Amino acid sequence: MTMTPRLRKFVLTAHITSSVGWLGAVVVYLALAVAALTSQDAQMVHAAWIAMELIGWFVIVPLALASLLIGIVQSLSTPWGLFRHYWVLVKLLLTVFATIILLLHMPTVSYFAGIAAEAIDANFDGLGGELLHAGGGLLVLLVNTTLSVYKPRGMTPYGRKQNEQRTASPAVDAAT
Amino acid sequence: MSQTHARPDHGSTASIPRWVKVFGIVALVLVLVFIVLHLADPGRHGPGRHITSIEHFAQLP
Repeated sequence: MTMTPRLRKFVLTAHITSSVGWLGAVVVYLALAVAALTSQDAQMVHAAWIAMELIGWFVIVPLALASLLIGIVQSLSTPWGLFRHYWVLVKLLLTVFATIILLLHMPTVSYFAGIAAEAIDANFDGLGGELLHAGGGLLVLLVNTTLSVYKPRGMTPYGRKQNEQRTASPAVDAAT
Repeated sequence: MSQTHARPDHGSTASIPRWVKVFGIVALVLVLVFIVLHLADPGRHGPGRHITSIEHFAQLP
């Protein structure tokens, strides 16, 4: 897949924006979960659950999907590729894993938010799990950010094979 | 992120880099810890936790 430099720059900007936005939204989600866990105020706990549901569905999920899809498109349009370098492959696996966990967990958040909206005197025993999910997600996103900046060396067997083929036939490579 | 700023180094190591091995071991340990914790107390995490919570709320007046 080839892109003009201008389009490639635009896609890169969109990928950074969605990825960093996702990270920031998870920090906010974590702050709400901690506030709900430590607060003695029932209204604060209920408001936090409702806010967590809104942030989850309308900010975190769209940003996660955007980051994943834009990242795939971007990697296929650069010499880095999607499966050629270990750091790109690890990022892909971590992002897919985090997105799947997020999508599986959000119905539970919606359930508790629904309870919060209906019964002000309900007790919540799911906040420990929220810290685990949000904390794990934050860790994954920090690892991804670090990999993106440092780009540690190492080509996959697939990448090495492609590289050898390209070196063996430079005329074909130049034509493509 | 920022994949277009630096060019790939095609002359990189032929074997699996050390950072990938370390990363894989850490990931494996985390997965094992998760499984052990889950098996040790299935009610604290996963679907079991959710069922417990639903039962808890169902008992509320």
